[in-house]
Amino acid sequence: MASLPQLIEEDIERLDRELRELLEKSDATTALIIDKGGFLISGQGDTRQFDLTTIAALASGAYMANQTIANLVHETSFNSIYQQGEKFSMLVMGVDENCLLVAIFKAQVSVGAVKYFAAPTVKRIAVQLQIAQERDPGVGLDLSELNLADPSEVFKRKT
Amino acid sequence: MAIINQATKELQVKIVYYGPAMGGKTTNLVQVHDHVQTAAGNKGKLVSLATSSDRTLFFDFLPIEAMSIKGFKAKFQLYTVPGQVIYNTTRQLVLRGVDGIVFVADSQYEKMAENVESFANLEDNLKTLRLNFPDIPYVLQYNKRDLPNVAPVEYMEFILNNRDVQVPSFSATAHKCEGVFEALNMITRMLLHKYVSQGAPQYA
Repeated sequence: MASLPQLIEEDIERLDRELRELLEKSDATTALIIDKGGFLISGQGDTRQFDLTTIAALASGAYMANQTIANLVHETSFNSIYQQGEKFSMLVMGVDENCLLVAIFKAQVSVGAVKYFAAPTVKRIAVQLQIAQERDPGVGLDLSELNLADPSEVFKRKT
Repeated sequence: MAIINQATKELQVKIVYYGPAMGGKTTNLVQVHDHVQTAAGNKGKLVSLATSSDRTLFFDFLPIEAMSIKGFKAKFQLYTVPGQVIYNTTRQLVLRGVDGIVFVADSQYEKMAENVESFANLEDNLKTLRLNFPDIPYVLQYNKRDLPNVAPVEYMEFILNNRDVQVPSFSATAHKCEGVFEALNMITRMLLHKYVSQGAPQYA
């Protein structure tokens, strides 16, 4: 049976530290770690002006679509995608089998600099996620007290 | 696969609406978006990546924060896939990381072959993603029950729910929001039940 990937305080602290360091060095505005399935794992920087949940879902979809294109042009992988805008640009880089790093930065910031500083960040994030993945998944969240016989619905319709 | 974030006390779950083209998958999400009762700020925007004729091109996406379980915020991400046959690669992308599936079947007699084909396509795509179908909770929704040419529910059960383990099924008229919340609540309960059984054996 598949295990539940769990991230504990220590993981998130380490991931956030890596993201903050990337923001300082590269002058990017916002940095995210997302799952390839579309989940937002962690975000740092200016997290208020953007809808990060939706960005995570769309960025993972765009990245995964590009991986399929890579296969069609006989590449094993396009490891990053870059979208250039007039105000903000975005770089998405593969971290490991499951995760991606997203950096949003002002258009005048050099994508080369962001890429340069993101490369070692990606490696360090991958190490921490590997540690989290290998941790005992049974430790932590206990859902056993959830009363599944409770007739109240999870999603309620407006009356 | 669901993500449990101990630091931010969040449980994130991905539910995908699957089924043949024009079966009502996007309508389900629109109805949930329009009618769900949530605290302010707990319902995200419904994002649709559609063609100019409103056919789903990539996916629809609706994030909702629904409940708190022992202090953990349960965040649900609802997706649809494009039903048209040519978009199979896109369906595979959307299925990545799926936790539960609502299969939206079109109840009209003439759509039965498309229902069966779409269900077989779902099984194939899960195999491609190295996911084991019996491990993934799913429910069936027999949509468009208000149309005159619908097949009886018993017939649809025979066609789509005739396996060793039968799954919950719901009659629905999605555009009137009938059967929409029933299917969503059932898949949610099945998912949470799965995590209860597998998540904490040492506490049981």
